[in-house]
Amino acid sequence: MLRTIKAGMGFAVLAAAFALQAPLRAQDSMKQDDMKHDKMMQDDKMRQAGAKTLFTGKFHGKVHKTEGRATVYQEADGKLVLRLTNFKTSNGPDVHVILVATKDAMDDADFLKSDNERVELGSLKGNEGDQNYEIPAGTDLTKFRTVSIYCERFNANFGAALLEKF
Amino acid sequence: MTTEKSWLSRNKWLLVVIGVPVLVGAWWAFRPEKLFINQKVNEAAPAALSGEPEALYTGKLEGSLHQTSGRATIYNTADGKRYLRLSDFTTSNGPDVHVLLVRSDDKALNQEIIKDKLDSVELGSLKGNQGDQNYGLPAAVDLNQYQAVVIYCERFHAIFGVARLEKF
Repeated sequence: MLRTIKAGMGFAVLAAAFALQAPLRAQDSMKQDDMKHDKMMQDDKMRQAGAKTLFTGKFHGKVHKTEGRATVYQEADGKLVLRLTNFKTSNGPDVHVILVATKDAMDDADFLKSDNERVELGSLKGNEGDQNYEIPAGTDLTKFRTVSIYCERFNANFGAALLEKF
Repeated sequence: MTTEKSWLSRNKWLLVVIGVPVLVGAWWAFRPEKLFINQKVNEAAPAALSGEPEALYTGKLEGSLHQTSGRATIYNTADGKRYLRLSDFTTSNGPDVHVLLVRSDDKALNQEIIKDKLDSVELGSLKGNQGDQNYGLPAAVDLNQYQAVVIYCERFHAIFGVARLEKF
């Protein structure tokens, strides 16, 4: 009798342990059912026109208050577009949008002083509002990770956004 | 005194010749009027984005005890439905894990195990601990208030990961 109870308890403990452990071990295979389903949902809803969001980051700037968001989209034909939204900076002379090869733009202007490589995207179209800039084909965005609103005349950074994987 | 005055008045043209270019140069360099004049633009989104769900909020998922990473983004579809999408997502697998929306100022978010009841909006059971996935949002959710996405193990009241949403 006692043995049966012991065995039963042991079995129950094992079963309970299994119930808790099984999900911890198994990697839900999203790659199969759910993922397929989500992929379909995503294909239906999001990829109709084929634009893909690659990177995004928020602007910050102290001396010249800069705010808004920078996002890099890839269009169906592979073209990369940088879009500024909710954007605001101070107006100034000869202001450009550039990409800088830095890991981090938190050091504000320092990334301009060193010999960091730059990619020019064009003159700033306006100091307020939504705007798009084409990124030259072949630009390595894992390397050029910082968007800078850059006053060429005074070599000053108005504001910068670090692009993070979307 | 009189001679000095007369020299200046005799050479007024010199002041003009030097002063005007200096002023023009300074104006060109600094463009001070731009301090007061804004140049507004309003370009449309890239054509490929039109008609696609619009991203409203986004945030990065973080969790240390149960390592969680990825991005949570809330989209608004053309017909006005909102949904949460997790992308690049990884968390640890566990029993009875759910996706919730919580007030971003909720102090419970700083805890790893919740003692009290969590004020939250349920979005459903986590579909998978890895991979891209979508969750529909109830129509009534106020996203100005519920601005944190939480991956929550209901059985052990454990927070696996949190993403604080920011305006996209």
